Amino acid sequence: MSVSFSLNGDSVVVEAEPRELFADVLRDRLGMTGTHVACEQGACGTCTVLVDGQAVRSCLLFAPQLEGCTVTSIEGVGSPGSLHPIQAALSEHHGLQCGFCTPGVVLTAIELLETEPDPDRETIERWMSGNLCRCTGYTGIVDAIAAVAAQRSAQ
Amino acid sequence: MSVTTSEPTTGTTTGTRRKEDLRFLTGQGAYLGDYAPADLLHIAVLRSTQAHALLRNIDATSAIALPGVVAVFTGAELAESAGKFQHHLAAIPTLRQIEWDVLAIEKVKYVGEPIAAVVAESRYVAEDALDLIEVDYDELPAVVDVEAALAPGAPLLYEDWTDNLLLQMPGAHGDVDAAFSEADGVIRARFHNHRISGMPLEGHGAVAEFDASTGRLVLRASTQAPHMLRGTIAQITGLSEAQIQVIAPDTGGGFGVKNHAMREEALAAVIAMRVPHPVVWEQDRVEHLTAGIQSREQIHDAELAYRSDGRVLGLRARITADIGSPELYIIGAAPAVVTTGVMPNTYDIPNYGFELNCVVTNKCPIGGYRGYGQPQAIFTIERLMDMLAAELEMDPAEIRKLNNVADDAMPYTTATGANLDTGSFNQQLDHLLEAIDYSTLREQVEAERASGALVGLGIAQMVEPTAPNMHALAGQFGCYEMALFTVHPDGHVSLSVGTKSQGQGHETIYAKLAAEVLTIPIEHVEVYDGDTNLVPFGGGTSGSRSAVMGGGVVLKAARQARAKMIEIAAAMLGVSGEDIELRDGMFFAGEAVLPLAAVAGAAYLHTFLLPPGMDPGISMVVAYDPGNTSPFPDETGKLDVAATYATAAAAAVVSINPNTGVVTVRDLTLVHDCGNIIDETILNGQIQGAIAQAIGATFYEEIHYSDEGQPLTTTLLDYMIPACGDFPEPRLIHRETPSELIGGFRGAGEGAIIVTPPALANAVADALGHLDNAAVTQTNLGPRHIREILRANGVALDPLAGRSA
Repeated sequence: MSVSFSLNGDSVVVEAEPRELFADVLRDRLGMTGTHVACEQGACGTCTVLVDGQAVRSCLLFAPQLEGCTVTSIEGVGSPGSLHPIQAALSEHHGLQCGFCTPGVVLTAIELLETEPDPDRETIERWMSGNLCRCTGYTGIVDAIAAVAAQRSAQ
Repeated sequence: MSVTTSEPTTGTTTGTRRKEDLRFLTGQGAYLGDYAPADLLHIAVLRSTQAHALLRNIDATSAIALPGVVAVFTGAELAESAGKFQHHLAAIPTLRQIEWDVLAIEKVKYVGEPIAAVVAESRYVAEDALDLIEVDYDELPAVVDVEAALAPGAPLLYEDWTDNLLLQMPGAHGDVDAAFSEADGVIRARFHNHRISGMPLEGHGAVAEFDASTGRLVLRASTQAPHMLRGTIAQITGLSEAQIQVIAPDTGGGFGVKNHAMREEALAAVIAMRVPHPVVWEQDRVEHLTAGIQSREQIHDAELAYRSDGRVLGLRARITADIGSPELYIIGAAPAVVTTGVMPNTYDIPNYGFELNCVVTNKCPIGGYRGYGQPQAIFTIERLMDMLAAELEMDPAEIRKLNNVADDAMPYTTATGANLDTGSFNQQLDHLLEAIDYSTLREQVEAERASGALVGLGIAQMVEPTAPNMHALAGQFGCYEMALFTVHPDGHVSLSVGTKSQGQGHETIYAKLAAEVLTIPIEHVEVYDGDTNLVPFGGGTSGSRSAVMGGGVVLKAARQARAKMIEIAAAMLGVSGEDIELRDGMFFAGEAVLPLAAVAGAAYLHTFLLPPGMDPGISMVVAYDPGNTSPFPDETGKLDVAATYATAAAAAVVSINPNTGVVTVRDLTLVHDCGNIIDETILNGQIQGAIAQAIGATFYEEIHYSDEGQPLTTTLLDYMIPACGDFPEPRLIHRETPSELIGGFRGAGEGAIIVTPPALANAVADALGHLDNAAVTQTNLGPRHIREILRANGVALDPLAGRSA
């Protein structure tokens, strides 16, 4: 079947089987391999993308569910020459090691800061508790998001 | 020795940006599953549904007929063109020697064991086809715990064995019997170490491409040890190592589980040659949790003989290790061997006897995981020290100081042969005690407990062999590392190493080391790893070896390159090499100056400028072996396996909810000494991550099996790992006691996962110490286990207490 949606600002029409997971559509059909899959059960948050501005697990969505949606994957957030503030802060605060969970962390953090512009650490921890990271122990992730929030509040 | 302290931060520090960060942050990292050559076919693996069974018949007729399926291989079919795995440990007489196939042929020994492979146009179709394969099993009774496996008449995993013992290894050092007969008392306890999973978020995987016209195979694999894997792939495929290129791309975590050669990696290689077509196998999370690598499961029956003044006289331990199915290279018994070697820990205990029994069971293979046998040993000895302190009504810190190897006894050789090269254990412990204001904190905790709260303070310490000689455990390799180091004509540097970063930031730290030697910007250094064609050999990244061995070889190579360039600069300037100074990327001799690029350019482009007889270029393959480790134990069983030793001490404060059994970590402080620090931000990340894994192993994670051997924890919904906000930010304190190796480094990645659990357990035991029957003798201190302890002491639990209706 054919599925149409907006991906990182571009209109996309993709042929996919109804049973295909959206994560697989992104990776295998569209070559957007920045979306990683780690648990296939919605438990780890690694495959998080923004659908209509909300962070969702792309391993729990089937391809047809994306019809007409607006999707942002990590490829649509900053670039090596122009990082999103959250990306820059994650680097500065060493909020990533192997990088496998990082795209999902970035996208969840974007929704967090749009929803809670001035979060305390507990709020950040609660929001990020759905994005598992096995490397960092989370300190750098929380530091990074807190720093971006503080910068924005100061502006 | 210098000391630095990092207090918990609140988002205001500035850190070092790593060279690898840009691609990871922007989704441009190139992980195994991101590589998709044209016409890639997908492998799905049919796995045993039985814990123990004979394979009678496999009917794949319907699967092969499914549109999109290219081939189906059973074990017997695959074995026509595949060699067998082995442990490479024929030198160990008490080890049962086995060989195994890529896919099981006659018998399965655990749920998840691979028995057939479907090759199809997509993973979806391949998995559809798995459902169409019919397998006839003759079920056999399964053994799922070590005591059942050792019972007389137990079902045998290997019919030609007389029991289920893979390895028996006794050891006796000093005069253990005399120590126990002279003792005023003996502490005895049985410790249970539960089974867990290392759980990198990216599982294993392999992409294999075979070019029939050249006879060459390229195997991409999510591995920590590409060169070691190349050897295994050669053994299985029959290709030469010169025909095989193993590439380890960006790796989504490893933590030791990717130090093993997987059957499925060999499967992909063999299938790529058979089909012939590029193929990929990507381990999914269920496969990872049921048929990957598991870790830690051991029972210790331990005895500590003591004098009434608190001095420990002797230690005995019977270590019964559950190896699961033993068909794994590197052998799953290796961590248990390490357990035996490190149990005396920081203490002066010359009289130490052990008996190691490695038992096979019908469960997933046990292998390596961060800490590699040491968490089990250090948990036992550190709990025993607290039990002794309680028995003698002494302070846990005092009993440790009394028994620590004394400063004037250093360098000290432990009972098992470890030549400790560390700083002072007692000074490290004092550093910890001062940092937490120990006596005041102890009083506060006791006051809270007196008012009814379940609050406890625990400490622990450890010494850790780092940068091990792999030969002692893997039957191959050694204790060395290699690098290809090149200064290019423009003065920029590329260096290729045999270690493999899985997130540890090697591109940054190696570049930093090389840049410092050559006094050039870090941006002028590119680091390459994870490719067997880049450098002749390498041990990979495991065993806290990369800073020590990889960092060491990078420094050694950079210094050789510098020496050659000084010779060239001297010739170009007409001075002696002794008159040359290198600073800010330039060679100075008095008033004369040569930029590094001019010297490097001369070495390639204007070779008439070189000293007579000098070869062109500035490029060298350098090997580094500290030369202070042993590949085998000596005649008394002593073995010094490590190039150098790292140390740490930890303190934890916990509170326990008396109604739910939930333990809350209030405070965690770690003093850590890994010698010279290369990059403190990256080091802190390693320690914080290891602490998170220690919290998981203590309070959240356990692999469960049913009595029939069916795995019960098969997804991340039922195998829980710590999430953000589950524990407080630890306070880290660094001591820097340089090793005598190049760079002065000691291993850094594992200490925190070794020392944290016993500190937590000692804190829990302290919190429950007023109860009559509250032995904390298991490594899983999750709520269920705490509730069991509370109930055993007659405490009535009210899980809904404090909640409004």
